[in-house]
Amino acid sequence: MSRIGRVEVSNLDKVMFPGMGLTKKEIIEYYIRIAPRMLPWLEGRPVVLNRFPDGITRPGFFEKDAPKETPDWVTLSVHRSETVGKVVHYIVCDSPDTLIWLANLAAIELNITLSPAGDPEKPDFALFDIDPEPPAAMKETVEVTRALFEVLEGLGIRGYVKTSGKKGLHVVVPLKPGYTFRQVRNFVHATGILLAREREMVVSEFPRSRDPGTVFVDYLQNSSWKTMACPYSLRPVPAAAVSCPLSREEVTPSLKPEDFNIVTVISRTKDPWMGIFDDLQGIPVK
Amino acid sequence: MPKDTSAPRIPHRPIWTGSISIGLVNVPVKLLTMVRDHSVSFRLLHRADGQPIQYQRVCTRDNQVVPWEEIVRGYEVRKDEFVVFENEELDVVKPESDKRIRLEKFVYSLSIDPVFFNKSYLLVPDRSEEAYSLLLAAFRKMGRAGVGMVTLRTKEYPALVREYHEALILTTLHYADEIVNPPDLEEIQKLAEPAEKELGLAEKIIGDLTGEFDITEFQDTYRERLNDLIQKKMEGKTVTIEKPAAEEARELMDALQETLARLEHK
Repeated sequence: MSRIGRVEVSNLDKVMFPGMGLTKKEIIEYYIRIAPRMLPWLEGRPVVLNRFPDGITRPGFFEKDAPKETPDWVTLSVHRSETVGKVVHYIVCDSPDTLIWLANLAAIELNITLSPAGDPEKPDFALFDIDPEPPAAMKETVEVTRALFEVLEGLGIRGYVKTSGKKGLHVVVPLKPGYTFRQVRNFVHATGILLAREREMVVSEFPRSRDPGTVFVDYLQNSSWKTMACPYSLRPVPAAAVSCPLSREEVTPSLKPEDFNIVTVISRTKDPWMGIFDDLQGIPVK
Repeated sequence: MPKDTSAPRIPHRPIWTGSISIGLVNVPVKLLTMVRDHSVSFRLLHRADGQPIQYQRVCTRDNQVVPWEEIVRGYEVRKDEFVVFENEELDVVKPESDKRIRLEKFVYSLSIDPVFFNKSYLLVPDRSEEAYSLLLAAFRKMGRAGVGMVTLRTKEYPALVREYHEALILTTLHYADEIVNPPDLEEIQKLAEPAEKELGLAEKIIGDLTGEFDITEFQDTYRERLNDLIQKKMEGKTVTIEKPAAEEARELMDALQETLARLEHK
């Protein structure tokens, strides 16, 4: 057992990504180095962990409620779930120590809500989750994402794009205060419907989202307590890909999500999402 | 440079020669085209090498090109069921042009509804100016037009001969059964009588906007933009594809609002 700051770390040599031979030590190192860019996203928001204690080739599990051994210096946000009637102690990762502690728990993937912990019904980001269904792949996803940008631009809205780290792309819009999740969800859904009207491969409705060769513009995550992969979070995929913020110029048909991984992302010097927290946008609502 | 299409060129070659016949009187005339379509036309090219592409008649069964001499005409009686005709068989019933525009009746020019007008041709005298100008003067003085039949190429038309700007013109007409009768439509049948007051208001608006008809007030702005575009390309300028941004944004916003409204009512 050794310590980094306040955190006791363990099993550092345990292999987390067998294909690339990455150990937990390297996962912790990644999260330490990426912390300055990642913490602004985690601060003030509940985080849902996707933990892989035995590495990504073994089944993992999602964890919302803070585990019993949570140190007392970790910030928690307590909410009573209306549906289950149970109290959930959400972890709020607001310091490098907490991030290291999470990495040590083999929380490979960190997911954040689209609203702040203090005001969970008030979304501050809209999410377009653009998800291809094979044989549609990144090329088709890029085409749809570019079309989405065109539509958003036409509406005077600036979107920010990141890789999901898996097959798709995420487009997020930082929102002015005052919207409800229902309004945001309908806006994202309506935009998907407009796109689907002009492009046969675009699917705007969930029941068709598994049709082969389609690209689903998923609006359903725009709900309280639903989450998206945190920008710069690792994803449990063999290439150790990261959900990486991109510039618009990087969204080309030859885009490969696995090029943005635990090794490469850290050396990206420019932040393509610079200023996003001050670029709050209005969206049309009914 | 694209051709200057601001005024139609004067046509020279007649598309038909014959005579207007009224009873036993014949007025020899030549028929010239009068209406020009100024639409800008494009050839279809293969993007890879810029060469024109061509259509081929292929058999739908084996996709092989079929030469003209192996082509016959089929009339579809039922789906995929044809009666077959050789060209010679069809030629038998084709109307023979007797090179005459037979005028059988004279009517007031304004009594014919424009909906029947098909296509207009210019009639010019063919070596017999006196007879032509006599007919022209009589039509003008009486405000009348001659109606009859004419065969152009292989089709018989009802036709109208009348005076237009110091000349005689021929206008082919549609047959009565080619025109839809509006009262046959349910939407027209069920129209209600408007209220007296509303009718008064509508009459006032129309009255205020009443003026002289001037066709030159109307311009084909699409054609102008196309010619502009061609000009720019030929000068090697890059052409940016743009719709007026404001208009596009408004359309988009409208579509989105409409969709949002539907989602709200689900």
